Amino acid sequence: MTEALSYFFLSWTDPYLLFLTAAGTFAGIYVGAIPGLSVTMAVSILISFTFKWNVNEALALIAGIFLGGVYGGSRSAILLNIPGAPAAIATALDGYPLAKRGEAGTAIGLTTVVSVLGGFIGIIALAAAAPALSSLSLLFAPRDYLLLAIWGILLVGSLSGESLAKGVFAGALGVLLGMVGLDPLTAEGRFTFGSVQLTGGIPYVAAMIGFFGVAEVLVQLHHLAVKPVKQNVSKILPSWDLMMKYLPLGLRCSSIGVVIGALPGAGGDIAALMAYDHAKRTTKNPSRPFGEGAYEGIVAPESANNAAVGGAYIPMLTLGIPGDAVTAVIIGALYIHGLKPGPMMLLETPHLFWFCVGNLTLANIFLLPMGLSGIRIFAKIVETPKAILLPLILVLSAVGTYAIQNNPVDIYWMLGFGVLGYFLKMYGFQVGPVILGIILGPLMDVSYRRAMISTGDDPLSFLGEFFTSPISAILTAALAATILSQTTLWARLTGRRPGLKAPG
Amino acid sequence: MDASRHRVPGELVFAVAMLLFGATALWLAWRISGFSSWSSPGVMPLIAAAAMSGSGLVILRNTLRMKRPEVSPGSTLARQFVHQVTPLPIALFTVLILVYMLALEPLGFVLSSFAFLVAAMFALGSRRILFTIVVSAVSLAAIYVIFQTAFAVVLPEGILRGVFK
Repeated sequence: MTEALSYFFLSWTDPYLLFLTAAGTFAGIYVGAIPGLSVTMAVSILISFTFKWNVNEALALIAGIFLGGVYGGSRSAILLNIPGAPAAIATALDGYPLAKRGEAGTAIGLTTVVSVLGGFIGIIALAAAAPALSSLSLLFAPRDYLLLAIWGILLVGSLSGESLAKGVFAGALGVLLGMVGLDPLTAEGRFTFGSVQLTGGIPYVAAMIGFFGVAEVLVQLHHLAVKPVKQNVSKILPSWDLMMKYLPLGLRCSSIGVVIGALPGAGGDIAALMAYDHAKRTTKNPSRPFGEGAYEGIVAPESANNAAVGGAYIPMLTLGIPGDAVTAVIIGALYIHGLKPGPMMLLETPHLFWFCVGNLTLANIFLLPMGLSGIRIFAKIVETPKAILLPLILVLSAVGTYAIQNNPVDIYWMLGFGVLGYFLKMYGFQVGPVILGIILGPLMDVSYRRAMISTGDDPLSFLGEFFTSPISAILTAALAATILSQTTLWARLTGRRPGLKAPG
Repeated sequence: MDASRHRVPGELVFAVAMLLFGATALWLAWRISGFSSWSSPGVMPLIAAAAMSGSGLVILRNTLRMKRPEVSPGSTLARQFVHQVTPLPIALFTVLILVYMLALEPLGFVLSSFAFLVAAMFALGSRRILFTIVVSAVSLAAIYVIFQTAFAVVLPEGILRGVFK
């Protein structure tokens, strides 16, 4: 226990790690707030820069960026009516009307407080659930990993983007890309076309930076002319009564955030929309009608999306399965540092787990003072013209991709994936499932074949096992429910539109 | 699923291209090991490619059901595609990125990035030349210092080899 505590406080007591966490949180707020910069983009680019660092330093920086970034999106949602990040889409619905009423300061103050609240709930859930889940995960058979991976891709594919078909296509494309290279079990080449370069597989960091960096920059070029509206920000610290009034709703939405975050694949953006929906359905007397500046409308999504951060770490650290797109990228980072996220990680490297928990806690504490100050400078930075910002992001993306292997070919991969990602986005596909597929594809491949081999290559007993073991049966049911909820039959049964769609 | 919206110009072609992509992948996956066994290296690629082809078909069907793309009078679909999907700034920017990548190794990071930044900012409508040059130089200097010190990243030196040591 004392050992766990010493790792928990490692980043609190080491001045350099403390600095990195603070710098990460600070930078994260701006990354999240500046429209066109996303947390996933920043973390993807940072991986390639930090791969020579010690893993603790890289994780400290990334934890700060992650938490700060998820929060930061709310500021531009409130002040500019432009969600700085997908997780803040729901916040803009009531945040901007509040700003127009001259209550931007109170709105920012309140979102900061509930974001920190949500963050703590997520971290507590991580600290409590992960060790328990980790011992449970030792019971997981290869087929369970296969089910979890498919479920994760389907969840993201169905909850965001235009249709389940497009989600499945994007996920399958990712899995296929993850298959390129030498087969891990037989060392046979797959999709290598006789090229030596391709036997090492597709450089997935180049793919991540391409899909999240370059493609996003190209999409942002469509919105060059959008001018932000300036807001007058006065009193920021919310009153004690106001905070207490929304505490119950904040707690409820935080638990929604934790659960959605912990589900494989689904992260803060979906959690925020679900929480907003929950608040709308359960609040009888909102402070104002929803959409016209209800405080409930900013408390719900903002507590949920920060709670989803801790939640998303749970499957990552216990199963090696990403809880959302950012943790998918972090898993890529851990691989580069020679760590293998999965059920053995908590047993073999418990210090890493407590270090992550301590880090997130520290970043969450930093969030409070940083969130309640610096609004004036903030407005200036967010108004940086995109004509200047976007070329800079591109230079960072290109150099980041180059840095990872000092290989110019990787940059062409990056541009190729960037252009593909651009067209996918233009035609209503999501790129999140592609990255999940790339990370989860190899895991699915190996899990599937281990499961099949263990039944002696008998497809019938292979399928039978999906229903006989309790863990597999639960996962199979969850998977079936996810698919069913997307069909028209479900819509007819419940009288609601299938699924909750995240725009963009 | 949203059959009520109009097709974006080029969407149908893209749907067909993605379906062909899936079908080609299916054929390539088949060639890895065919159906020699249920646990052969080719099975997961086959499943992924089949999922791509299957969903590709559904996407194509949904795309066909959408309303035709909105084309303003006097314009053609091709023009509308250029206008909505690949407008000049985006095409120009993509070409600039490509040139930048080709120049990165021979010219080195500093020169190629500086040229790219100035050209790209200008192309995106930053008309104050001096301001653009100063911003490019200052941010590039910051990136260079941070990369070399904090991240210890090796950047291509190109023709400026030895100048910054």
